[in-house]
Amino acid sequence: MKILVCVKQVPDMSSRFAPDGAGTWFAEADLAHRINEYDECAIEQAIQLKEQLGGAPEVTALSIGPARVGEALRKALAMGCDRAVQVDEPQPSRLDPWQVASIVAAHACAVGYDLVLTGMQSQDRGSGQVGVLVAEQLGIQAVTTAVSFEHADGAVTVRRELEGGARARVRVRLPAVVTCQLGLNVPRYPTLPNIMKAKKKPLDVVPAASLLSAEPLARTARFFAPSRRTGQVMEGPVDQLVDRLVALLGEKAGAKRQERT
Amino acid sequence: MKALVVCEARGGKALDTTFELLEVASRLGAEPVMLLVGEASAIPAAAGRLLLAEVERADAYDPGLHRNAVVEAVRRVEADVVLLPHSSYGWDLAPRVAAALRAAQVSELVALAEGGGLEVACCNGKMRRVVQPATAKVVVTVQPGAFPAGGARGGAPSIEGIQAAPAAPGIEHLGHEAPSAREVDLGRASVIVSAGRGVGKKENVGVVEALARALGGELAASRPVVDSGWVGADRQVGSTGQTVAPKLYVACGISGAVQHLAGMKGAEYVVAINKDRDAPIGEVADVLVVADLLQLVPALTARLRQ
Amino acid sequence: MDATREIYWNVGRGVIAPMYAVALAAAAVFAWGLRQRLRVWRLGAPEARLQPWGARLAGAARAVLGQGTVLRALLPGSAHALLLWSFLLLFAGTLLVMAQADLTAPLLGVTFLRGGFYRAYSLALDVAGLVAVGAVAVLLARRLALRGRLETRAADLAVLAALLAILLTGFATEAVRIAATELRDAPDLARASPVGRLLALPLAGWDGGALRALHRALWWGHLLLAAAALAAIPFTKLRHVVVTPAGLFAGDRRPRGALATLDLEAEGVERFGAATVGDLSWKDLLDADACTGCQRCQDRCPAHASGKPLSPMRLVRQVGEAARAGGAGAALVAEIGADAIWSCTTCYACQDGCPAGVEHVGKVLALRRNLALMEGAFPGEEVRTAADHVEVNGNPFGFDHAARGDWAKELGVPVVAPGEAAGVEVLYFAGCQASFDRRAREVAKSFVRICRAAGVSVGVLGKEERCCGEPLRKLGNEYLYQQAARANIEAIRARAPRRIVTTCPHCLQSLGFDYRDLGLEVEVEHHSTFVERLVAEGRLKLAPGALEVTYHDPCQLGRYRGVYDAPRRLLGAAGATVVEMARSRRDAACCGAGGGRMLAEERLGTRINAARVEMARETGAPVIAAACPFCLSMLEDGIKAAGEGERMVARDVAEIVAERLGG
Repeated sequence: MKILVCVKQVPDMSSRFAPDGAGTWFAEADLAHRINEYDECAIEQAIQLKEQLGGAPEVTALSIGPARVGEALRKALAMGCDRAVQVDEPQPSRLDPWQVASIVAAHACAVGYDLVLTGMQSQDRGSGQVGVLVAEQLGIQAVTTAVSFEHADGAVTVRRELEGGARARVRVRLPAVVTCQLGLNVPRYPTLPNIMKAKKKPLDVVPAASLLSAEPLARTARFFAPSRRTGQVMEGPVDQLVDRLVALLGEKAGAKRQERT
Repeated sequence: MKALVVCEARGGKALDTTFELLEVASRLGAEPVMLLVGEASAIPAAAGRLLLAEVERADAYDPGLHRNAVVEAVRRVEADVVLLPHSSYGWDLAPRVAAALRAAQVSELVALAEGGGLEVACCNGKMRRVVQPATAKVVVTVQPGAFPAGGARGGAPSIEGIQAAPAAPGIEHLGHEAPSAREVDLGRASVIVSAGRGVGKKENVGVVEALARALGGELAASRPVVDSGWVGADRQVGSTGQTVAPKLYVACGISGAVQHLAGMKGAEYVVAINKDRDAPIGEVADVLVVADLLQLVPALTARLRQ
Repeated sequence: MDATREIYWNVGRGVIAPMYAVALAAAAVFAWGLRQRLRVWRLGAPEARLQPWGARLAGAARAVLGQGTVLRALLPGSAHALLLWSFLLLFAGTLLVMAQADLTAPLLGVTFLRGGFYRAYSLALDVAGLVAVGAVAVLLARRLALRGRLETRAADLAVLAALLAILLTGFATEAVRIAATELRDAPDLARASPVGRLLALPLAGWDGGALRALHRALWWGHLLLAAAALAAIPFTKLRHVVVTPAGLFAGDRRPRGALATLDLEAEGVERFGAATVGDLSWKDLLDADACTGCQRCQDRCPAHASGKPLSPMRLVRQVGEAARAGGAGAALVAEIGADAIWSCTTCYACQDGCPAGVEHVGKVLALRRNLALMEGAFPGEEVRTAADHVEVNGNPFGFDHAARGDWAKELGVPVVAPGEAAGVEVLYFAGCQASFDRRAREVAKSFVRICRAAGVSVGVLGKEERCCGEPLRKLGNEYLYQQAARANIEAIRARAPRRIVTTCPHCLQSLGFDYRDLGLEVEVEHHSTFVERLVAEGRLKLAPGALEVTYHDPCQLGRYRGVYDAPRRLLGAAGATVVEMARSRRDAACCGAGGGRMLAEERLGTRINAARVEMARETGAPVIAAACPFCLSMLEDGIKAAGEGERMVARDVAEIVAERLGG
């Protein structure tokens, strides 16, 4: 069995984002990067399945981007993936979801994976398209927003998260793509020996051009900070803030109290 | 220009998001045609033209069948734009439709920029992008709550039946699980005090809860807080929780991920308490209090109780 | 007549052979028993703890003979010291008797226990014996009186009873001999043995034959008891008379708090920290035998006092028990419990107060290293999140790393660019708290104001500064610590500053000590000593303002670095009167935030900071002065929780000083 996990390296969301020179994406300066949270759940699910099947499946982690994504891949390897592929692309933000999916699909098609796991969306772009597009391009099934995952007899049973806490249980035969929602699992913390072993696991670097043939279907015309609603900003010592808020909240909540009686 | 508005139904009932999609269509200057893949009982009460692809077991979502229905509808009405809600239904279905049409997809539309640019949220709601499709047709998912309800409510659409080609068997629907019993109906609360990741740990939820009690309101929480098990899932506000519309919403330590904003945008008055002056919650807050909630909230509660 | 006594009086020289046979047998049992203990110590990993032997020997001798640490607990300490000193004297006396009777007299015909020397000798031994009896009696009475508060096993009482029996049979033997001899033949000489004489007086009228029979019985009883005690040393708590000096000899000579920097890249090394007995060092296993159960560590442990499942004494004993029961492969975490291991604040109160030189903290950290590095374990989810934030953002709170220097921008403090540190006298390493925490930021601002008033130019690293890694290191995560350390070292080296000052003693530990192993050699100082020197040198003029404060010694500054006086002098220079808490200086109680606990939720027991704030409250001082942002935060929380916010405030010494700039 072969499993592919698609991993995106994203900036930490606490970062201050500023438009880059072209004004179409964020500037790279001063950003701290981490693995997309959703993809971390995907990695964990792949490793759990590998463990469930006695270590038989080979788990490959794939990430598209410049050399820095190697850090994310090393972490995936330290968590337990067997090998990694860095699709070398100096400016991954220029790729639209369709192109990203086509790169993954081209790689997956060549290797022949039984299961492709990825996050339901990325924290930075958040389009939530790539997983399904990979499946569509490979002509296999996709199940999105998984919050539980069971594998048995060549099929996967997943709980999909719907709105309002409801869930749908679905079963899909492999090969398939499953996109992971937060809460699916608690990603493990890599142990030191595994971090060290990860340094020796194969990490192939493949130029993006060798896998990318699709043209973009959309492009980002502008990237910017939203204009703020003209709300009031209160700052200062806590006692003063309390003074100002007591009156305000009393008024807003008081009106409601009368209503209820 | 024509827009295909894909209606979402849940539990056999039409969802109001359809009216928001109609509003988007109208702002785009497109002639809307609705499509419902499901049963006739879930047809929305909106005037206009509606295509109905009747399916058996409407509650058992079959992505392939729905995709085929949308593609057939697009062909039938020669739609340029396909609008779906950005929900577990929409974000699952939209890429399948886009792939079938070789059309660009624009996810989570929050506004229309000047000149009709499609503005979407990114970076956890902190930033915005304007997406420029390069294809003739475009599939758009629209963030629930981002647009007011449009269209003509209360009417009855003219209905045309269409036939969706059955999809190859693939995903087997095994059943639904209802959410765990809901003790509180946040949707009817008029004061909500909500705890976000900024409370730091489970033990601090009590601080927020005390403020809720002092204000005679209900405690709510954002998704990360619920995921951590600090607050029960029945109190989650957001796109995967409840949608609320209180008179007063106090967000404590909630950064304001779009998923959360989607659930509380209907609040009349929003007070946000956050350490981060730049937190996206500030965008929807009437008052943003820049403070450490663990210092401010207990002091505030104590004063309110006096 | 020459003052002396007949050695082997009454028992005759015929007892020499059986006596030495008994002594040899006892010594053999002693040696065999000690060897059994040694075998257990050797289950531990090798560690160089024997060189330089001269200095070690001198240090151990000083500690043993001086009884310095023992005497820190006044009553039991004095009793123990007197018992030790008098026993040493009695032992020396016995050696002298043996030397004369069995060596110098038969071989050389020389006797020295005579005349004035004999009188003095006799008097000294009598007094020593009396003191020893008194000391044992005090210790016995204390054990009995403190039942419930002091963990007392039957063996503890038996050992004291045995010592008392040896001493009393010694006196009885002497008394009977004096009654039969000196009282009759040399009453004047009897006065050189006042205790013996006093006990002999009631026997004065006894029949000579009866006295002689009684004397023989007592003599043998005394001999056999003493021999039994010797033989029992390795098997009872008496073993400490051998093992504790050995442990003090093998003590850790590095600066307090030093931890071996692990080579994480070492080829073939796949185990880190201590999972089993064999992963600990031989000194750790010796410690288990050196422990006498005096319970001082446990009594001073903030975790134990607040109801957490940690007793440093029990932990040390559990290591020994595991070693003896399961050998080198015996698992430690299951025996000790992860909750106990994570409860430690590494405050060093246990180790600092241990008279036996037991190293508690090193064991906890070895166990934590195993949990963290081999299991990926943390004391809680919140700590994992914090560690993750340190890894990505360089601070445990998850703030944008690029915002780290924002506080300094507001003050116009320059960010020092690589190679430009020559332009500033001091590179200020603010630390995570002062960089991001609104409250601790006030300390940073105060420090900058002080420097400006003294004409000291200050620069910062800005966003190039990262968490120093100390809390993570104390939580066992050497990997993340080294990652953080290397980034800081690179940033500091690129700037080559003349001097680094930090307002955080945890950063001081990292930059000033721990980073040396990773190649950073730069002068690093805590702000309390730096500012105090500015005052002493006359560079900083203060306008003293009267204020009553109590000063909380941060563990990381006090017990770790021995800095007790500088902050107090500085407070004095600012016009403050320091009212000491019940526990201060070396005995100061921890705030609860050390050992990485700053990042962890305190889920078990009561709150450590509450206990410390209570001690501060008892002084009546309205201000608790601190010199550590962790302590400051814990004390503030404690004050709030106690509802004392109206009456007390916690302030850093820098804040107090900054309010009194002038002159």
